[in-house]
Amino acid sequence: KPRLSNVFTSADTHVSDYPTVQAVERFGQLLSERTNGRLGLKVFAGGQLGNERDTLEVTAFGGLDFNRVNLAPLNSIEPTTRVPSLPFLFESTEHMRTSLDSEIGDEILATLERHGLIGLCFYDSGARSFYNTRGPINTPEDMRGLKLRVPGSDLYVAMVKALGADAVPMPLDEVYQSLSQGVIDGAENNWPSFENGRHYEVATYYSLTRHLLAPEAFVMSKVSWDKLSAEDQAVVRQSAKDTVPYMRTLWDAQVEKSMKVIADAGVEVNEVDPAPFTALMTDMWADFIDTPEQQALVDRIMAMRGGNS
Amino acid sequence: MEILVLFVVLLLLLALGVPVAIALFGAALATFAVIDIPLVVAVQRMAAGISVFTLMAIPFFIFAGDLMYRAGIAERLVRVADAAFGRMQGGLGVVNVGASMMFGAVSGSAIASASAIGSSMVPLMEEKGYPKDYSVNITVTAAIVGLLIPPSHNMIIYAAASGIGVSIGDLFLAGIVPGILTGSMLALTAWIVAKRRGLPKGTFPGWRQFFRAVVYALPGVMTGVIIMGGILSGFFTPTESSAIAVIYTALIGTFVYRSLGWKGFTEAAAKSVRTASMVLFIIAAATAFGFALALLEVPQQLGGLIGMMTDNPIMTLIIINIMLLVLGTFMDMAPLIVITTPIFLPVAMSTGVDPVHFGIILMINLGIGLVTPPVGSVLFVGSAVGKMPVPAMVRTIWPFYLTLIAALVLITFVPSLSMWLPQAF
Amino acid sequence: MRVISDWLVKFGAAGLILMTAIIGWQVFGRFVLNSSPSWSEQGSMVLMIWYVFFAAAAGFREGSHIRIGLLEDSVSESAARKIRLVINGVVALFGVVLLVYGAQLVWLVWDFVIPSLGVSRGAAYLPIPFCGLLIVLFAVTNFMAEWRGEKVQAD
Ligand code: NA
Ligand code: NA
Repeated sequence: KPRLSNVFTSADTHVSDYPTVQAVERFGQLLSERTNGRLGLKVFAGGQLGNERDTLEVTAFGGLDFNRVNLAPLNSIEPTTRVPSLPFLFESTEHMRTSLDSEIGDEILATLERHGLIGLCFYDSGARSFYNTRGPINTPEDMRGLKLRVPGSDLYVAMVKALGADAVPMPLDEVYQSLSQGVIDGAENNWPSFENGRHYEVATYYSLTRHLLAPEAFVMSKVSWDKLSAEDQAVVRQSAKDTVPYMRTLWDAQVEKSMKVIADAGVEVNEVDPAPFTALMTDMWADFIDTPEQQALVDRIMAMRGGNS
Repeated sequence: MEILVLFVVLLLLLALGVPVAIALFGAALATFAVIDIPLVVAVQRMAAGISVFTLMAIPFFIFAGDLMYRAGIAERLVRVADAAFGRMQGGLGVVNVGASMMFGAVSGSAIASASAIGSSMVPLMEEKGYPKDYSVNITVTAAIVGLLIPPSHNMIIYAAASGIGVSIGDLFLAGIVPGILTGSMLALTAWIVAKRRGLPKGTFPGWRQFFRAVVYALPGVMTGVIIMGGILSGFFTPTESSAIAVIYTALIGTFVYRSLGWKGFTEAAAKSVRTASMVLFIIAAATAFGFALALLEVPQQLGGLIGMMTDNPIMTLIIINIMLLVLGTFMDMAPLIVITTPIFLPVAMSTGVDPVHFGIILMINLGIGLVTPPVGSVLFVGSAVGKMPVPAMVRTIWPFYLTLIAALVLITFVPSLSMWLPQAF
Repeated sequence: MRVISDWLVKFGAAGLILMTAIIGWQVFGRFVLNSSPSWSEQGSMVLMIWYVFFAAAAGFREGSHIRIGLLEDSVSESAARKIRLVINGVVALFGVVLLVYGAQLVWLVWDFVIPSLGVSRGAAYLPIPFCGLLIVLFAVTNFMAEWRGEKVQAD
């Protein structure tokens, strides 16, 4: 029985016009249309219900029905989700999309079920690159000694350390001021987040390393899932999948928009030869891949390289 | 219906006299039961609600404030102020305001300021013939000026609660002028009240004594310089600066003033952990309450209510201020910031108020709530350090309440008071 | 009871001092050593849950939690005594909720990991059921004392 006068609840930390929120809103519309208004959805955007780590736990307990999260908080729950979070695993957005659209994506999503979560689909999160206040980064040498903010995640810490920089774990809301006052020299993120947090105002060098193409995930509470009929479960699964192309369109448009804002602000953007970065960052894979299950997934994703690009 | 459960349970439990934290938690629990949310979620929201990096500034600044008091730093700051202003009628009242401003400015905690200044100034003023109600009235009302003068951990809570990346640096700059203004207005009131009640005046100790006092107070004054300088030059974040304040105060208390031993240090830690936990426990419970509030979309409904009542920006700000003053009468500051920021900030912004300006309005408004009965932690501290019951205290406090209201009106309707500094930098 | 709550505050104070040292080390590591500790942020946040729950539990023995005593002050002494009995009952109930659902919480997140610490997320929530139990203990003791007509000490 859905709570709150027959609507499901979903949490998101992004603001309401962000592509992830819009995609989940679309999912709610599809759900409503396909059940003749029997089921509906209300998205609580902007982190009003808490941060991703916390709302993810609440979702697993059955306190929220849906949640859209980054892969980082899932990494601490289910080791297989570390696979698509590995730096330089995907060689292009195309490679990431075809890999996760295949049964590989479904297999990773299915591993969440043992933790009380039903993985519904992956959403794009673009390519993450480094930005800083000092100067353009062309080689790993340029990163030596830089203090770079990372989210509280082992993978990100290891990644930045592998490049010879100082990894500073810091909550996102402290980053702007820390950049402007020099507590840290830089951070890393995708175009829309670089723009949304207004970090480009203070960090004026964006170097396109594109080291991470990790997706985001849309999940449902298993508690809520188990209360649905098999027929409604199928509708939920299909509707979620159907929002993926829509989300990608929104995402690409958002990236275009952010690139323009950032360029207009006078940020110096430079292309980077990924080869030396790849060499340093793939060494650390071994520290995060410790089951045959994970290794098999890595091998299969690697085998899909060179397909479309 | 669910909203009714949330508020009826809260008000019933509060009226019964149950601790505020339990009243908030109980209301959330009852609501969760009604809308079919597992009760374990309430406990998780409570614990996770205080697992927030920026909230660490609360225990740290309270700890630093208590160390300053124990190490005699607070007392030395008071002596400087006494040497400068002691000779005018009601001069020690003005000194009290100045001392509270200086201490509150550095510690950022109204509770720490009221306990530190109250315990050193109230006996000193009593010695010199001032009535106790007068000293305590000044101590508690001037304590809230420290909320406006940076650094202020309540501003950090506000920046986090705003969810739109309000710059803490801008908030700190924005608080300076309103803080000095409010302090000056309180000092003026202290002087006028002293004249009307015919209170005594002291004598100037001479320049020699004055400079001696200044020199002795210098390492204490440096606390503020180090905190602000350290933040502005990128040595540490505002949250980290609170821990640095503890370490610095402990070091100069031990090695410069030699008035703080290991025993004093651990006693201060025990006292601070009691005070800070009381506050953080309410914030924790308020997080569970806030989750229910958000799920039931109370913020949107209240915001809509204001929209229905008026679309005049001035009326909107007046209504928001009245709602906040009423809420502040019953609840404490930190949980109120967490709960009311998402409700009122979007409404205020829709009338063209800058989020930085709104943060300053929120600080003084909720600060007034700290010194008004029935729930006001600073009022309770004043009653404790002055050893007088709350009713006797508030009987003569009204000139100071009126001054604070006047300052609130000025700060609300003259945005440039707040926005001038952040826009200049 | 007093001994227990004093120990809780001592643990809490130790937690606060330790947290000061951790954040001091974090600043030192980043600024002087140019190598930030990766565990300090998560570590201090877990520590904060621990000491807040410890000291808050002690606060129920000490009667230091902020509350509105208006009703109690405005009725007769025998009615006030009944109100205090009810309040202690509510506090005990709160303790039971923390004990039962806190334990469930620890159980539910036991196989989740706290990043950069590598320990179970359950470790962060571990003090909750423990403090719930102590709150029940304190509330029941206060209730019994009130029932027998003794003055419950407040300090
Ligand atoms: Na301050
Ligand atoms: Na109040």
